[in-house]
Amino acid sequence: MTTKNEPGKTYLMQGNEAIVRGALEGGVHFASSYPGSPSSQVLGMLGHIAEQMGFRAEWSTNETTALQSCMGASFANGRSICIVKQNGLLVQSDTIHCGALGGIKGGLVIVSSDDPDSHSSTNEFDSRHMAISANIPLLEPASVQETKDMIPYALDLSEELEQMVLVRVTTRICHGRGGVELGELPEKRPFTPIGEWDRMVGINWLHSFLLEKLERAREAFEVSEFNHYNGKPKAKNLIITGGTGMKYVLDSLEDLGIEDEVGVLSLGTLWPLPEKLITEHLADAEKVLVVEEVDPFLEEHIAAIAGKYKINIEIYGRNDIIPQIGELNPEVVTKALKEFMGIEDEKAPACGGEGCPAAEGLAIPERELTFCAGCPHRASFFILKQALRREGNHGVVMGDIGCYTMAGQRAGQYGYHFMSCMGSGISAAEGLGQLTNYGFDQPVVSLCGDSTFFHTVVPGLINAKMNNANILHIVLDNSATAMTGFQPHPGTGETAMGYETEKISIKALCESIGCPVWEADPFDVEETTQLITDLIRKDGLKVLILLQPCATLAAKTRAKKKVWVDADKCRGDNCGCDRYCSRVWGCPGNIWDFEKDCAAIDEVVCVGCGVCAKICPAKAIQVEGGEE
Amino acid sequence: MLSILELERKVVKTDLCTNCGACQGMCPYWRSYEGRTFVDYECDRKEGRCKYFCPRMPADVDGLLKQFFDEGDIVPQLGAVKELYLTRAADPEIRAKAQHGGTVTALVELALQEGFIDAAVLSKAGEGDGATLDPAGCLVTDPAEVRKCGGSSFQIPPTMATLNEALKDDVYKKIGVVGTPCKTLAAYKMMSKPFDDNDNNADNIGMVFGLFCGWGLDWKGMEAFGDAAHVDILPSKFHRMDLDDKQVDLDDVLPLVRENCNYCYDMTAEFADVSVGGARSSEGWDVDKGWNQLIVRTEKGRKLVELAREKGVLEFREFGGGDAKAAAMDKLKNAAASKKAKAVSALTDKYGDLGYLEPSKDAFKDYIK
Repeated sequence: MTTKNEPGKTYLMQGNEAIVRGALEGGVHFASSYPGSPSSQVLGMLGHIAEQMGFRAEWSTNETTALQSCMGASFANGRSICIVKQNGLLVQSDTIHCGALGGIKGGLVIVSSDDPDSHSSTNEFDSRHMAISANIPLLEPASVQETKDMIPYALDLSEELEQMVLVRVTTRICHGRGGVELGELPEKRPFTPIGEWDRMVGINWLHSFLLEKLERAREAFEVSEFNHYNGKPKAKNLIITGGTGMKYVLDSLEDLGIEDEVGVLSLGTLWPLPEKLITEHLADAEKVLVVEEVDPFLEEHIAAIAGKYKINIEIYGRNDIIPQIGELNPEVVTKALKEFMGIEDEKAPACGGEGCPAAEGLAIPERELTFCAGCPHRASFFILKQALRREGNHGVVMGDIGCYTMAGQRAGQYGYHFMSCMGSGISAAEGLGQLTNYGFDQPVVSLCGDSTFFHTVVPGLINAKMNNANILHIVLDNSATAMTGFQPHPGTGETAMGYETEKISIKALCESIGCPVWEADPFDVEETTQLITDLIRKDGLKVLILLQPCATLAAKTRAKKKVWVDADKCRGDNCGCDRYCSRVWGCPGNIWDFEKDCAAIDEVVCVGCGVCAKICPAKAIQVEGGEE
Repeated sequence: MLSILELERKVVKTDLCTNCGACQGMCPYWRSYEGRTFVDYECDRKEGRCKYFCPRMPADVDGLLKQFFDEGDIVPQLGAVKELYLTRAADPEIRAKAQHGGTVTALVELALQEGFIDAAVLSKAGEGDGATLDPAGCLVTDPAEVRKCGGSSFQIPPTMATLNEALKDDVYKKIGVVGTPCKTLAAYKMMSKPFDDNDNNADNIGMVFGLFCGWGLDWKGMEAFGDAAHVDILPSKFHRMDLDDKQVDLDDVLPLVRENCNYCYDMTAEFADVSVGGARSSEGWDVDKGWNQLIVRTEKGRKLVELAREKGVLEFREFGGGDAKAAAMDKLKNAAASKKAKAVSALTDKYGDLGYLEPSKDAFKDYIK
């Protein structure tokens, strides 16, 4: 990412970098975020350059605090940008609705990154609905260049309307790359003092102003350069796209050789919709195909516009010829275009797609997501399962969002009964834990990570304490926001800009609520299993902090111990263990040597944690310097 | 069905499991905690030793008896009986800790000293001073260590897991094992090598010492009574359990009897070289107190007992005058038959047939109501 002021010069950039550059060209004073894929890198980059470029960047405790801190900056006429993923936007929902009612001063842009196909999410929610609900303008770029261009535009628009603006991006924008022609870096604008009678208050008598702002946005969008028309003028077959839909459509049309037969209206201003622009094109068309990521958002609102203006037209999209779920890709879009245009299949299907001859006969084993080699979560869930089975009652394990969400799969001994959203583990467990006072007879265990703890777990914990729920709450403290790439959180003692800050102690915080706290090491398999067994039997709310740094972090700081299998001690399939290390423990570092028919260690993958040596029933796994 | 699932469904989840430990010690999957056997992770073997060694999986126990013992010695209610004696350890130090006369402790000590066995798998109390809390299996090779394991805990620690581990290690070639009837049945199941692929070196079992057993108690239940060095259940007319100086009404104890013990047909540990219990002669408790009755079942057992007599390790007491020995034998037979009848009744109530005893149903047909 370049911080140079080189207007007109073109750089190859990732979409996330383009957001950063856009923020610089928009002259932001303040940036905030809570990490979430696919836009996790944005604030990391902003944090690195904030000092140099004269603005503030912060990793916030959660998305709500992130957005509200932007509103604070905006009050002093500062420009701000808040970056979240789709779930983060939902966390902000109340703030957005109330904030929109009150309006803003300095430009405020929320960038929400959606993850169609949920590559690194638990869902593929569509952020766009939030704009309708909160009555705020919505933009979506179709390319990396537009991503960069849209941020300063959105900041200008936001300031002009005195309203926050939502920019929706998707994984392919965030992680895709493209050429970006730079714009000018502005002079930093000074803050404006907040006057005695200045107000930013969200209250219902402002409802009409809210709607007026939206109408002013619509007028601007009717002539916006982010809406394009390509292909045949006055086309009878019209394709309307939102965001990345445009690129897929233009490529597929070229592949099919029909780019001159259809018209493509690609929209970058998605709410409020430019009705005049749309009706002009609908008037000439006989049928429309809408291509967009995830929900039939545009499709249904275009249908509403057609109805409102009495335009009799066929409308297709996610509700029929494009699958209702999942990400767009060239195969999906090409197939939909063929169906839309009535083109028969002539040539062989696209490579790798359904029915592709090359793809048949490829035996690629299905692989589940798993914890990294040496991950402390593997040990934590291994221990938890054993402790619960000891009780003769498998208990109820209520989970949360983080790397440990994979515990629902083999990686964590299928250890999850429940998982919903950030903070859900403790809060739902509170409900069950209360019922243990009224006849519900199973041990209730909830889990969260250290970053999640600060994010939303604290209120749930207080609720559990106040209502006397019987829960063992386990904090899987790996000293990192590991899943999204080691962003600082309140427990790490560092800020986004690299400043040291006082670490907030999870233990002290829990104790201040009145929860008894235990700390243990998940790598002490036997002792910690016993501790969990004992804690499950105690009444009331208990907190256990399982401390062991993320293996990826540990690999950077600890000397790697050599681990190997003593082939004389490992009896292979003649041992009763049924490949305990590689099959049950399941660390990617534990592999099977099919030639020698015994266990082996993948030296490249192994990080030397040595836990497998503790659980090998034949004591065949050796650790350099002996077990700890 | 996977071996582990079959065993879990047929024995553990149906409350038939005695926690003897025969399924454990060979793999990491079967474990025991506080008297309860459980699976911690799933093994994916279709056939495993666990289900073949389990004393509560269906097996022809009558055929097994005939395979290992002289058919001429077999008494229907008691298994093979070569001799019946009243004995006690000559060493008062052994007797001080023993439930009754310390016969088993004295015999195992002697067996180790004289090379009848080269190691012994016993049950030992946990960390506390007494004998009742947290008992566990232990492997002993030093004769002097044997007496530390004397006395009864009235619980069923997974001793056979310790035996399995010792057999797997293949270091000791003549291992003696002391256990309740469920455990000694498991030992003979192992020796019958029911699983072709791997017998876990069952030939290394040297001798089996059986303990008479009425039932075992739940782990948690014993916690309520606290730790005690000496525990005994008095003859039925007293209706009492003594823990050191504390006397507990049997009605307070019976609710803690393990559910699985209701399905046990064997009072005298029929599968053993020698079996030992509390003396219950016709002369009454005042005379019997501090004495054992000892059944010799095999030649090897007889040799050890005779050596014990020669060396003065055991003291022998005559049965009294007349047909007192026959009366004691009848008393024992009646008690053993009563346990068989209760087990058959419990099993038929539960399954409609004899459950795990179904393969030997002819041997139990007289007990079916």
